[in-house]
Amino acid sequence: MAAIIRSRPIRQFRQIFQDPVLAVALIAVSLFVFIAVILPILAMVSTGFSAEGLPLFQNYLQNPIYQTIITNTVVLGLTVGIIGTGLGFLFAYVQVKVKAPFKRFMHLIALVPIISPPFALASAAILTFGRNGMITKGIFGVRCFWGQGRSCNDIYGLDGLTMVLALSLFTVAYLNLKGMMLALDPAMEEAATNLGASKWRTFRTVTIPMLLPGILSSFLLLFVEAIADLGNPLVLGGNFEVLATRIYVTIIGLYDTNAAAVLSVVLLVPSLTVFIIQRYWVNRQSVVSVTGKPTGTPQQITHPLVRWPLVALVLAICLLIIILYATIFVGSFVKVLGVNNEFTIDHFDFVINGYGSEAMTDTTLLSIISTPLAGILGMIIAFLVVRKAFLGRGLLDFSTMLGIAVPGTILGIGYLLVFNNDIQLVLPFGGENAPVITLIPKLTGGRAIFGGAMAIVIVYMVRSIPAALRSGVAALSQIDPAIEEASISLGADNALTFRKITLPLIRPAFLSGLIYAFARSMTTISAIVFLTTPQTKIMTAQILNEVENGRFGNAFAYCVILILIVLVAIGILYLTVGSTTGAERTLEGGA
Amino acid sequence: MNKKILFLLAMLLVLVIAAPVFAQETLTVLCTPQEDWCVAMTQAFQEQTGIQTSYVRMSSGESLARIRATADNPEFSVWWGGPADAFIAAKDEGLLEQYESPTAAAIPADLKDPDNYWTGVYVGALGFCSNNEILAELGVDVPASWADLLNPALEANVAMAHPATSGTAFTAFWTVVTLEADKLEYPDGKPAEGETVEGTGEGYDETGTPTQQAIDNAFGYFAQLNNNILQYTKSGSAPGTMAGNGEIAVAIIFSHDCVKLQVEGFEGVLTTSFPEEGTGYEIGGMAIIKGAPELEAAQMWYDWALTPEAQAVALTVNSLQLPTNPDSPVSDLSVNLSDVNLVVYNFVAAGANRTPIAERFDLEVAPAPTE
Amino acid sequence: MAAANKANSGSLWLEKISKVFPARGGSGEVTAVNAVDLTIQQGEFLTLLGPSGCGKTTTLRLIAGFEMPSSGHILLDGKDITNQPPNKRDMAMVFQSYALFPHMTVFDNIAYGLHIRKLSRSEIKEKVANTLDLMGLQDLGARRPNELSGGQQQRVALARSLVMEPRVLLFDEPLSNLDAKLRVQMRSEIHALQRRLSITSVYVTHDQVEAMALSDRIVVMNKGQIEQIGTPDEIYRRPISRFVADFIGRANFLEARAEAVMNNQATVTLLGQTMTISAAGNPKTGDTLVAVLRPEALKLRVDPQLQPALVEQAMYLGSEIEYRVRVGQGILTVVENDPRASHIFREGETVGIDTIPEAVHLLPA
Repeated sequence: MAAIIRSRPIRQFRQIFQDPVLAVALIAVSLFVFIAVILPILAMVSTGFSAEGLPLFQNYLQNPIYQTIITNTVVLGLTVGIIGTGLGFLFAYVQVKVKAPFKRFMHLIALVPIISPPFALASAAILTFGRNGMITKGIFGVRCFWGQGRSCNDIYGLDGLTMVLALSLFTVAYLNLKGMMLALDPAMEEAATNLGASKWRTFRTVTIPMLLPGILSSFLLLFVEAIADLGNPLVLGGNFEVLATRIYVTIIGLYDTNAAAVLSVVLLVPSLTVFIIQRYWVNRQSVVSVTGKPTGTPQQITHPLVRWPLVALVLAICLLIIILYATIFVGSFVKVLGVNNEFTIDHFDFVINGYGSEAMTDTTLLSIISTPLAGILGMIIAFLVVRKAFLGRGLLDFSTMLGIAVPGTILGIGYLLVFNNDIQLVLPFGGENAPVITLIPKLTGGRAIFGGAMAIVIVYMVRSIPAALRSGVAALSQIDPAIEEASISLGADNALTFRKITLPLIRPAFLSGLIYAFARSMTTISAIVFLTTPQTKIMTAQILNEVENGRFGNAFAYCVILILIVLVAIGILYLTVGSTTGAERTLEGGA
Repeated sequence: MNKKILFLLAMLLVLVIAAPVFAQETLTVLCTPQEDWCVAMTQAFQEQTGIQTSYVRMSSGESLARIRATADNPEFSVWWGGPADAFIAAKDEGLLEQYESPTAAAIPADLKDPDNYWTGVYVGALGFCSNNEILAELGVDVPASWADLLNPALEANVAMAHPATSGTAFTAFWTVVTLEADKLEYPDGKPAEGETVEGTGEGYDETGTPTQQAIDNAFGYFAQLNNNILQYTKSGSAPGTMAGNGEIAVAIIFSHDCVKLQVEGFEGVLTTSFPEEGTGYEIGGMAIIKGAPELEAAQMWYDWALTPEAQAVALTVNSLQLPTNPDSPVSDLSVNLSDVNLVVYNFVAAGANRTPIAERFDLEVAPAPTE
Repeated sequence: MAAANKANSGSLWLEKISKVFPARGGSGEVTAVNAVDLTIQQGEFLTLLGPSGCGKTTTLRLIAGFEMPSSGHILLDGKDITNQPPNKRDMAMVFQSYALFPHMTVFDNIAYGLHIRKLSRSEIKEKVANTLDLMGLQDLGARRPNELSGGQQQRVALARSLVMEPRVLLFDEPLSNLDAKLRVQMRSEIHALQRRLSITSVYVTHDQVEAMALSDRIVVMNKGQIEQIGTPDEIYRRPISRFVADFIGRANFLEARAEAVMNNQATVTLLGQTMTISAAGNPKTGDTLVAVLRPEALKLRVDPQLQPALVEQAMYLGSEIEYRVRVGQGILTVVENDPRASHIFREGETVGIDTIPEAVHLLPA
């Protein structure tokens, strides 16, 4: 007994619970994470392994058709991971290590895909590089890049999907690798050169191995995103079917939650494996020595035979991105792009004044509600995880991260399984007329609470909190814990310290967390598509509808407006949250 | 601290306001035809009755699945549009509410359920929607038969929707089932109208339902066609736009959807044709959902939707299906069904077989690798 | 008024305090502080001294309340505060990194704690102004921490704690980030301030010179336990263990046999000289002892009577000169103060080595 009372975890909790605010915060975030992340995933997994689900596993895994789908999914993840990381590396390398013109331009273009509404790039790709695309057909006069009929190499299938996904996802790899390259101590490469290694040899034996953890983690990130993606394979898949689309049809067309759960478990395996590898292995392999004081300026490549091909390649990819985004923009202003190029504002009229306006306002409103909540929750969890010791700290961090590691489709189905009815507690007395307490009201489907809006806000939060958490953790690790202890020692409690000291100091991280949360909420589709209701219409789901019906003009108008809303929101966030207090400068200056 | 609490409260308030206003009379429609028609219909109804009307557009398979899944606690009160076989399937599963509408009397008997579970609101024939330019490029004539679609030159140049999600695609499938049943029943050719020939009994059973053999043969046809299919879309009308954009040569869609596309930007690009063996048609149905949360409003909608005035709304959005009320106005552009060879479409049998066929198609045909 | 009351309070009692941490890298535990008993008087300046990892900082953080003891109690003025959260303990801490709030001005930094106490605006203004004066920071109130020099930042950190008039001031190696000259200057400022305000102070450092300069008493810690408590003079001259002797100042250690013992005085022969000197640990005749010879206990002379020694290294340091001399197999460190007054020996010279018995201390082996 005494041993239990004196055991460490209990003492730690006693310490936390001395401060009621801290205790409430810990309980509240744990409860939120459990209900909003863990419960749906558990429900999905347990449905998959239920008596109805288990036999399906065998069916699916032995069926050659499903084997092909699973293979397709993995192949897509691999190609997107490799090519996307390659693109990111190329952009970062040219940016940091090559003497090149237009660097600022390249950087900006590489950032553009951060705001890519789902389907936007895929639809644009069909109109430009499709079988009747403005470039394939219009300029080159071909329907296929090569081949004919079934062997026609067109935009549909693995190649087109890879291109579009790699282009929409490579920004993460680029930012990641650019950061690492900048942090790389140039002395390392200078030493290699000094010892007689050629530039190529240095690149191969020093630069690449030093960046390997970054390359690997970018690859894994892209892999997970690619296999979870629903929007692009739906539009561009052709006969190349992947698990995400299969799950979608199983739910939407057959409403077979058992089969969907089984397929989800299959999809969950690679996603979770990669997430765990990334988290517990890759992150420990980091060899980059961030000294903070680079000992020299990086040597830039000037050799024309290396320099110009690299620059040309990057510029060509920039051009590709510009073409696709220009297609979106132009397509929103003409009747039927490529067929009838007459100027019109009908599409915008449809979105702004027509029935689309509801989706526009609903989506924006729900994102506005979820963004600050996600930002604050992310920072609170970051604070608890970095600064407080308690049993299950790692678990809280891990569970929160699951919100993004798990494919959105799985989350959406989990929500359908858990929240489609009131969750009630029947009190254990009173017999037949036992009082019933509704713990969680019905969140999904029609006639759900707030017209289903609450479920959508929660999903938005679940999907955005992980990024806020990571940037919060990174920022907090940079801040001397003594600063917070000083505040406490001067009489402030944990809550006041968090508000007056911690939050202002991690303001830049908070800001980037908010921006990410908003952009993510506005563009998320895979988890939301199962949760829209008659009362709550979501833009991305509407875009899917328009794209499915081939009304690209309306879809593009949605995308343009969506991009504008996100840009305006970023501007507002900078003006309100980003007002400089000097804290950022001070932190860099090292007070 | 106070400022933050106020902020949170304000957000909560916004959330509450954003939620539907329960006090007002509302109606939630499950709408299966194209979005613009759904918008026009709900707006017209709302203007006329003052009932706050919202809708969700879902393809017909999706609708059926959703109604089935939420039968305990229905989200929708009325289901408007989409092929009747989905309605028949729903009726058989006990998902619909019987309602004898006073205005239904005007609708011909073969366009409504004898037990008043559903009533037809429009009729349309299935057809092929071809892109002239692409066909010319491939050196293929406008397809005039189901057999023409199997032409190897059309490899990866045909699109249709997935029968699991789309009523259009299911209509196409059942049409082929019917044709295969005819072939089995009358190996020497289908008897002309009025003529009676003793069938072999292999195509149809005694109730007139196509036999399993006929269904298997139809699967054989679609397995072959699969080689020419580029993509199975979710929504029935989507392949038409793909054809219009030149992504494919031929779309299997309802002919009125093809005409609508021609009117709305693809004039001269697309051609509508019909298979000579015979084509299927749809009766667009309408029904009240069992346990409808807004029963009264749903009945008002039901009565209203069968009037010529409500059916005329279709013309404002170029929806060129034929209205079921003989008094409704008809567009010149609409396809005249008497000019087309229609199969004898057994809606009841189709409805009964819908779910097993959709599942089998999903397993056997759609995901099969194409070589 | 409050200050006057507080001058009479601030006694601390640590009762069998222990702190166990989970070991780094998973399994096992590390005992950082092991059953420490300690009483700190009102107004006393007490220093926790020891090498890194000895538990001194953990002990300080236990007092502050940033860590919870695994067992034991902490009493402040007789009241058990073991379970009191840190913000409720009437203590203020000065951190090694100063921990100034980078997003606030100097004024706001100092006023922070007063705001939390909900003092009136005018009161805060007055108190902060007084403290700024006291610390010589009059004109810097509007600056931000990153606009200050290291010494100024240190003063602000100190001011921020002083303005709270806490019952106990806690210092966590506050001078270690300053350069050598500033460190000496701040040391004397802290010394003067503490004596003037007589606030009970607990000071953590690994710098024995700092500890001796500032403290009323020094607690030498090793491996989570207290090795010795005493005034600086006691610690320096009468270390009770080889660890303490070695840690405080420089020391030569020579083995010696107790030839006779009387009243804790042992007779030993060191470097050819027989002497009777104080010995710790109740030695018995015949015991082997360790003699602690501070460098100043040895003198080099040109005297053939004395034990001969070879000068291997001579380092001139201005105020003193440090020799390393070889005697037999061993090397001894000898420091000659004020080199001007005596002869400077060269490396390679052979000299005689003399011992000053009063500066020698005996320990059990």
